[in-house]
Amino acid sequence: MTWRTQANAIWRICYFYGFLALRRQPLLFIAIFLTPLSFLFFLYVVAPHSVLPYGVTGGIMFTALFTGNGMMTDCAYLRLERQLQQVFVTSPLRPMSWILGMALGELAWTIPAIGLFLFVLAIVVPIGALAVVGLVGVVLLTWLLSTSLGFLLSTFFRQLREIWPIGAVVFTSLSVLPPVFYPIAAIPADYRWVAFFSPSTFASQLADHAAGLSVPTISVLPGLSSIPVEVAGMVVLTLLFAAMAMRLARWREP
Amino acid sequence: MEALVARTLSKTYQGTSGIVRALDSVEMTIAKGRLFSFLGRNGAGKTTFIKIASALLLPTAGSIQLFGIDVVEHAREIRERIAIVPQEGKPFYHLTPREHVEEYLRVRGATRETARSRADEVLEDMGLLPYQHIPAMVLSGGLQQRTLVAMVLATEAPFLFLDEPTLGMDPFARRQVWDVIRHAARKGSTVLLTTHYLDEAEQLSEELAVIEGGHVLYQGTPDALKSKVRQEIRLHFDTGFTREELAAYGEVFVERGGLTLLTTRNRAEELTRRSLERKVAINVGPVTLEEAFLTLVGRAIEEEDPEALA
Ligand SMILES: Nc1ncnc2c1ncn2[C@@H]1O[C@H](COP(=O)(O)OP(=O)(O)OP(=O)(O)O)[C@@H](O)[C@H]1O
Ligand SMILES: [Mg+2]
Repeated sequence: MTWRTQANAIWRICYFYGFLALRRQPLLFIAIFLTPLSFLFFLYVVAPHSVLPYGVTGGIMFTALFTGNGMMTDCAYLRLERQLQQVFVTSPLRPMSWILGMALGELAWTIPAIGLFLFVLAIVVPIGALAVVGLVGVVLLTWLLSTSLGFLLSTFFRQLREIWPIGAVVFTSLSVLPPVFYPIAAIPADYRWVAFFSPSTFASQLADHAAGLSVPTISVLPGLSSIPVEVAGMVVLTLLFAAMAMRLARWREP
Repeated sequence: MEALVARTLSKTYQGTSGIVRALDSVEMTIAKGRLFSFLGRNGAGKTTFIKIASALLLPTAGSIQLFGIDVVEHAREIRERIAIVPQEGKPFYHLTPREHVEEYLRVRGATRETARSRADEVLEDMGLLPYQHIPAMVLSGGLQQRTLVAMVLATEAPFLFLDEPTLGMDPFARRQVWDVIRHAARKGSTVLLTTHYLDEAEQLSEELAVIEGGHVLYQGTPDALKSKVRQEIRLHFDTGFTREELAAYGEVFVERGGLTLLTTRNRAEELTRRSLERKVAINVGPVTLEEAFLTLVGRAIEEEDPEALA
């Protein structure tokens, strides 16, 4: 198959796994809104309103991060329970195209939620077209990082029962503990560097930059909170996760 | 040209309770365009063989080639030429049978027109037209299985692996699927299928292999298998004879609340006379593939472990 037929195949997978599912099982994608909206509501009630924009960018980032959770559960489910990954890799389709198609399908699911959060953001802070472009860029970067990690994790599962608890642990701790929903300034200055052990911190700092919210620099490692470093951090982690996933993926069991 | 050649192919799994020898020096040759069946008890190694041949599993030792291409070394070239129905695979929840077929073909590189016309054909042949627009999640189990088989058969791939393709299908559906499989073979595909329905294997296969404990016990035509067990007549007794008495005449099974004996024509005639003397009812017929299979595998198990069948 030429690269053009591979590209077409990737689009087909995204179409039937993402868009068709979105159209047929609308109840499922409401679930995507539910968690980040609840956090936002919680912030709105208990926190000073100056924190609210961070909660909205947090909602965007949470949604983008959770594409990784979807990727992990869906890929493991299709391989272990439905045996459909096997049907697709025993074909001219390249394994990489399968991963990309699935990852795009996960992204398709989040479009309504991210659109809604962008709309809310425009209400709470003045944002221009550039900010929207920046935020969409950050969402794409986060999606790449998160789905790479999700696929990597999916390769470890040997049976279905393991998926759900691990997904909850990994992706909840990535999106709730680090400064995704709250500003990093809330962490005492001397300890902020700890947050950078989580890839989601890079992502949400970038999102805050893009939305024009104020982001303090880190006193211990001042360079950490700058846009090039954040982008580089995310790209490196994405490549690392993707490379590991390709090595560990069970296209062929040992 | 041969479609498949396996030489001293072996696979050992690291199971939780020690190592499992799933395949043990298997030699196998399948001619191009052949409709070939694997028969064997649960755990005999059929799925393991299919997974290795379709580049889904690495062998521990030995070699295997499809169309002269090494499966271990050249997985990518192999994948261009195959399609597989995995054992206990299931379709996507939210897609209809038609979408399964069309989208799968398009992912494999077919044009929209080709995908559509092949879907028309296979959905009709497999009796799926009435359900073609219903999402798989609300289809019955057998219809879901038919959907999966349809999407794979529609590929017309040069080598089709079908691991228990008719599982859970009703007798009408199975016959429709047999026709589609035969059609694929006539069009030039080589088909390797596994089944536990021996009538299916008898109807469908031009050639078959019997596997037991990772060994190939037999490879040849279904008819040759029946003559290999050297018993051609099947007698069934509800009462009137003991197992020990019958054992002197051939292979005996406990079946349907009575005893089934596989024996030669001469001995069958003798037993028929004796049953007339004793005034007991008997049921006589030719040996089926199922009985030949039971005999062949039964003998192998007995040699290995005489207690196992007692
Ligand atoms: N992943 C695995 N790990 C350990 N042992 C395995 C694994 N897969 C299969 N086995 C073992 O290998 C042997 C052959 O299994 P296989 O699935 O090939 O049998 P089969 O002939 O397809 O049986 P069935 O008719 O039940 O489908 C069995 O003893 C099985 O328990
Ligand atoms: Mg099997």
